[in-house]
Amino acid sequence: MFAYIIRRVLATIPVMAVVALFVFSLLYIAPGDPAAVIAGDQATPADVERIRESLGLDRPYLVRFGEWVWNILNGDMGVSIFTNLPVTTMIKQRIEPTLSLMVLTLILAVSIAVPMGVVAAWKHGTWIDRCVMGFAVLGFSVPVFVVGYVLAYIFALELDWLPVQGYTAFKEGFFPWLENLVLPAIALGGVYIALIARITRATMLEVLQQDYIRTARAKGVGQRSILFLHALKNAAVPIVTVIGIGMALLIGGAVVTESVFAIPGLGRLTVDAILRRDYPVIQGVVLLFSFVYVLVNLLIDVLYTLFDPRIRY
Amino acid sequence: MITRRPLLLAALAAPSLARAQTAQRTLRFIPQGNLANIDPVWSTTVIARNHGLMIYDQLFGLGTDFQPKHQMAQGHEVSADGLTWRISLRPGLKFHDGAPVRSADCIASILRWSKRDVLGLRLNALLEEAKAESDSVFTLRLKRPWPGLAWALGKPSANICAIMPERVARTDPFKQIEDYTGSGPFIFRPAQWVPGSLAVYERFADYVPRQEPADFLAGGKPVHFDRVEWRVMPDPATAAGALLNNEVDWWETPLPDLLPRLRRNREIEIDVINTAGNLGVLRFNHLQAPFDNPAVRRAILPAIDQRAFMQAAYGEDPALWRIPAGAFTPGTPLANDAGLEVLTSPRSIEAAQKLLRESGYAGQKVAIMTPTDLANINALTEVAADLMRRIGFNVELQATDWGTAIQRRSNRNLPDQGGWSAFCTTWEGLDTSVPGSHQPLRGNGLEGWAGWSSSPAREALREDWFNATTLAEERRVAADLQRLVWQEAPFVPLGQGRPPQAWRRSLSGLVKGGPSLFWNLRKG
Repeated sequence: MFAYIIRRVLATIPVMAVVALFVFSLLYIAPGDPAAVIAGDQATPADVERIRESLGLDRPYLVRFGEWVWNILNGDMGVSIFTNLPVTTMIKQRIEPTLSLMVLTLILAVSIAVPMGVVAAWKHGTWIDRCVMGFAVLGFSVPVFVVGYVLAYIFALELDWLPVQGYTAFKEGFFPWLENLVLPAIALGGVYIALIARITRATMLEVLQQDYIRTARAKGVGQRSILFLHALKNAAVPIVTVIGIGMALLIGGAVVTESVFAIPGLGRLTVDAILRRDYPVIQGVVLLFSFVYVLVNLLIDVLYTLFDPRIRY
Repeated sequence: MITRRPLLLAALAAPSLARAQTAQRTLRFIPQGNLANIDPVWSTTVIARNHGLMIYDQLFGLGTDFQPKHQMAQGHEVSADGLTWRISLRPGLKFHDGAPVRSADCIASILRWSKRDVLGLRLNALLEEAKAESDSVFTLRLKRPWPGLAWALGKPSANICAIMPERVARTDPFKQIEDYTGSGPFIFRPAQWVPGSLAVYERFADYVPRQEPADFLAGGKPVHFDRVEWRVMPDPATAAGALLNNEVDWWETPLPDLLPRLRRNREIEIDVINTAGNLGVLRFNHLQAPFDNPAVRRAILPAIDQRAFMQAAYGEDPALWRIPAGAFTPGTPLANDAGLEVLTSPRSIEAAQKLLRESGYAGQKVAIMTPTDLANINALTEVAADLMRRIGFNVELQATDWGTAIQRRSNRNLPDQGGWSAFCTTWEGLDTSVPGSHQPLRGNGLEGWAGWSSSPAREALREDWFNATTLAEERRVAADLQRLVWQEAPFVPLGQGRPPQAWRRSLSGLVKGGPSLFWNLRKG
């Protein structure tokens, strides 16, 4: 197992290399020029060229790529073209809000969606099942930003229970931190809850048809034990897979949620950087997201062995 | 006798009272965009300029009459031949690190600015020598007289002539500064800066304001807040919610669609702060067909309905825009009505179609770029494209983002080779208030603004404006320039946008005239 984890960690290196090459090349051929954005409306072509030179953007592709890779290997992600701040500093400033939002959303989603899916499977064909599925359809259909606006309108503007926007660091207290994240986490969690609830229901329905469940019932095992100990554990592998795949949904959704609730996270940093063509920041953030995604998938693979001892690597 | 209960209640109330007092001394402001860079000489963005006006002072400042007045300068003398400007500094001026402001700092700052700004470049060309006579007096010796130098040194539009310490001002003007020591009424706190989210300023206790009432960028700059927070909120609905919920005090750019909702709240006031606003502009590519032909450019004029452009960009409320707008910003001293009937006579698509037929237009493709991430400019462009289609142009509206659009503007090729034919934009009203900084008006061809309009006559008139010594002379030049604009059509003015701002009524003392300014304000 340990050897497997080491192998998988090492396998992330070529994956990250491909991502790096892809991101760098994509930005190289993409339209837009940060020097022109910096120079602004009044600039002459000579001004733009001079800024381009000062930023090193006039050098050949291979030279720039080689230098960037070398710096990355030395832990230096470069300096933002616009803010003049190191990319690592900008990422550090933004990582806590995004991580907080994603973790809270994940906890919220799993703790709501799994019981929902289980109950829907148990009460298959009843109004409870239809309600759960109706909610799932709604969760998939309504965009995150719409949910965000509605929640902010009701709970912040009308009821004045929670703030409309912003983020309070965890070090300033758990409740102020939570206060700012409740609405964004619910807004972002909608799709995720829908996804997990549907998969949980479908998998549980299949498992509940199995012979060993019938045997357990015949032996007089209680309904709760059947559902959560016998059936859910065996349905866990697809559910955990969906939770892992859903991380991409969370990362994408965080971009929108952070904008709607003015949370200073990595999603907004990415959008701002793309609009301004701040290449070092875009490259740094995309690399980070890719790395996180690869790690989450590794974690999911490892979790398989806990839920299903038959799985061996 | 003090009992335990009041004591306990007082102790419990103490933190919230402290928070309330801190909130009272903190101004929470939503700027129009992200403060992405903080060098007002290196960057041309409006928001970097606004930041610059907070942390740097200027030698001269414009009053609400748009005339330059002394700010850091105690006084100035111009020699009889107009070639030597002797400027003395006010006593007691300090930088944020406590060092005194000296002539050497001012000279270095002027020289750095003169490499980047449009008026600075003129100074760069005219400057014979800059010399410190003492720590508080310096002279600028010119090759030719320039009566407008004080205006240039005090101009509030990007790039401003910000006075920095000499060590900072020696930075290459094409590189960003890394030392944020300023000379203005606020200190920037870089450690608390989160680009895209938060910028923090604190009151500079040693700042010495002029002992006069605040008058736009002239007069006193008294600060009544300990801390100003710029909270960046890209989403207008969120910003509106934050203002309604008292999470912020002031929103610089409320969306016109959201104004009715804000107006329903009695705690919120809405008004125009930037009276100069901005001038909508339709710009042509003078190097490529069909707009290399002045007759084709002129053909559009009879159909231009400035009201339609303004309503699309700023909404139905006529208080938020002003028409007719000529070549110069309405409401500023050089705005005039010379030949303005070109835009004020009854509008006629048929007249435009007739002129287009007579112009020799051969159906060439007209590629119009529109940056969809800038709502106002996108709205102006869509109206322009629709109008040009109705006149008979073969229009291709190309949606893109600002980053791409601004790069493509530099491409001088045909539309099929990555070039373009026309675009719409807005210019800060302060820039388009005088010929010196009015880029769409220039006729310096390939050296000039995108569109590369060439006109020796307009360049000569611009030079006349620089040499004008009285406002009457300036106005004569401006009227001549405007007549030339209708004749040569280097651009078409689309109206003056006057975007409103929204703030909580607890704020008072907002300084009107131009950009958002943070002195003279009080809360409560």
